[in-house]
Amino acid sequence: MPSEALADRPAIAKPRRRALTHGLTQNAPVLLALTMLIVSLVLYVAIFLLTQHHLPGGFEITTTVNDTMPLAAAAAGQTLVVLTRGIDLSVGGIIDMSNAIAAVTLRDTPASMSLVTVMVLLIGAAAGLVNGLLVAVGRLQPILVTLATLSIFQGIAIRILPQPGGSVPQIYTNILANPNAPWSLVYIALLGALWWAFRRSSLGVAILAIGNDPMAASSNGINVVRARVMAYVLAGMLAAAGGLFLAASATGGDATTGDSFTLRSIVAIVLGGVSLFGGRGSAVGGIIGAFITIMIANLLFFAHVNQLYESFFEGVFLLIAVVAASGIGYLARRRA
Amino acid sequence: MSVMAMRQWLTVGRRRVLYACGAAILLFAVGNVLRPGFAGLASVEAVLVVASFVGLVAAGQTFVILIGGIDLSVPWILNAAAILLVTSSLGENIRAPYALLLTLGMGALAGMVNGLGIALLGVPAVVMTLAMNGIMQGLTLGLSGGMTCSACASYAPPLIQQAVHDRLLGIPMALYLWLAVILIVSFVLSLTMFGRATYAVGTNPRASYLAGVNVSAITVTLYALSGLFSALAGIILVGFGGQASLGMGDPYLFQSIAAVVIGGVYILGGRGSYVGAAAGAVTLVTLVSVLLTMNMPDYGRSITYGVIILMLLLLYGREEAGS
Repeated sequence: MPSEALADRPAIAKPRRRALTHGLTQNAPVLLALTMLIVSLVLYVAIFLLTQHHLPGGFEITTTVNDTMPLAAAAAGQTLVVLTRGIDLSVGGIIDMSNAIAAVTLRDTPASMSLVTVMVLLIGAAAGLVNGLLVAVGRLQPILVTLATLSIFQGIAIRILPQPGGSVPQIYTNILANPNAPWSLVYIALLGALWWAFRRSSLGVAILAIGNDPMAASSNGINVVRARVMAYVLAGMLAAAGGLFLAASATGGDATTGDSFTLRSIVAIVLGGVSLFGGRGSAVGGIIGAFITIMIANLLFFAHVNQLYESFFEGVFLLIAVVAASGIGYLARRRA
Repeated sequence: MSVMAMRQWLTVGRRRVLYACGAAILLFAVGNVLRPGFAGLASVEAVLVVASFVGLVAAGQTFVILIGGIDLSVPWILNAAAILLVTSSLGENIRAPYALLLTLGMGALAGMVNGLGIALLGVPAVVMTLAMNGIMQGLTLGLSGGMTCSACASYAPPLIQQAVHDRLLGIPMALYLWLAVILIVSFVLSLTMFGRATYAVGTNPRASYLAGVNVSAITVTLYALSGLFSALAGIILVGFGGQASLGMGDPYLFQSIAAVVIGGVYILGGRGSYVGAAAGAVTLVTLVSVLLTMNMPDYGRSITYGVIILMLLLLYGREEAGS
């Protein structure tokens, strides 16, 4: 903004206005995602009211939250990897794997449930470690590495659970995906809080720095290899958590239900304003994106759109979101 | 040829094509030990025919990877093409030419939309083609009613089935078609302005733009070609199998990318050749056949597949240090 324009304004208003514009521009992608979420929510309520003749109640809210949890966890993990200019296509395989392990090993005792949870998260982290080492130390392209490990993880998942089955204790379901009340919102809040802290940790700063400029990050003393590996490890762990949520809400295991999460996690983070070129975006955006993705599915369901067309609309919404986000980003930069 | 000239001829790219061919021959040898007769003529021919399907898709994938892009919309453009061919031809020869044009046009159009989104709207290639895959999937499923439409059960016109299955001088027509594609694509890439511009854009889009290359037009054309080749593969596949089915395109995404990479095309663009990708397709399909010969269960194949791709990548897919 030219300085003459500011000259005739009161002196006090200047910094406030700047801080506000700055905050808006900095968080534009997340705000845009939030706007999309609100629009889809309003549309959803309107269509629900029109077709069901009453407002969506506790059941609908609980189902939506429980449906979103696995995707929200996977999207938060995908965000971390994409921030480093990478991509994790093996998310679906890790979800398959953790889902299968949980369904086969969970028993109805507190010891078993906590032990299995920790074990599954560690296995997810180990899977992420393999990805991270191949990408950062092996200097291979993320998209190729994770395409190959996706195949490996899917194979392992089917070995563990050849047919859909296994069982998840009712208590475990109640804890992770309570069918009676949207308790899972606690986990969403937890994920958000973790991101808030992570963003300010040295690792979080390192991951964002790598995404912006790996060379500059390295020159400034950031251990690029370590930060990159950690991004994949955390993504693997979050994907495994997603698999646990999925098993809990389905009360059973299926070694192939995770497959769709690879693409949907990417859709979610793009809707959530994370830049695929790295360095820009937040896990909160990814989580909001996950909610939008599920809302769109709900919206189409209650609008009685033929379910077969679902992926068509998902694709169209994805494109609209990307084009809108880049358009608004462009306008914001031009004004700033 | 002197040693010096030999060294000069053996560039990194050519060496990788040789590695891919060597790996294929080695795999045939291994397969022959596991099951005598695996390297026999009939079996080699079967492998090559299957490889030609992967090879056709890989042609389009090579084009877009050469400019640092990627085409994730392969599975459902291929699948949509297969279904569109049978539903528009209804298995009648007289409708075959119209159905062929319609199907190829559909593939090229979908690819062109990909290219326009990437070149003009600045959508990242991964997102654009991912969205296109979803759009094609939704349209295919929705319009065919989940493959329940009465025309969906039609067979491919006998003309097209014959064109794939017939033999000329004892060799299946599918292989002649692939040979023609290899020659044409290689010619276009190495000996035309368009091909040189493709490599230039892949190496440095900004420099090529400043040098007067129409980067947007090249991008749109390459993605349109990729869509066209996916549709062509769908047509050949439905001619080979007789009928279309849902999900028939799914294996071709992973396989086409893997073939291109095994064949030494640099995933960030600018380097590589279609001959390499074709050799990569043969290697990959031979590998799958060997695993099938070993009676390995599905999960084992999936794991081995991933491990071998990783090993090949570690052997020669690494980026230079410091990049």
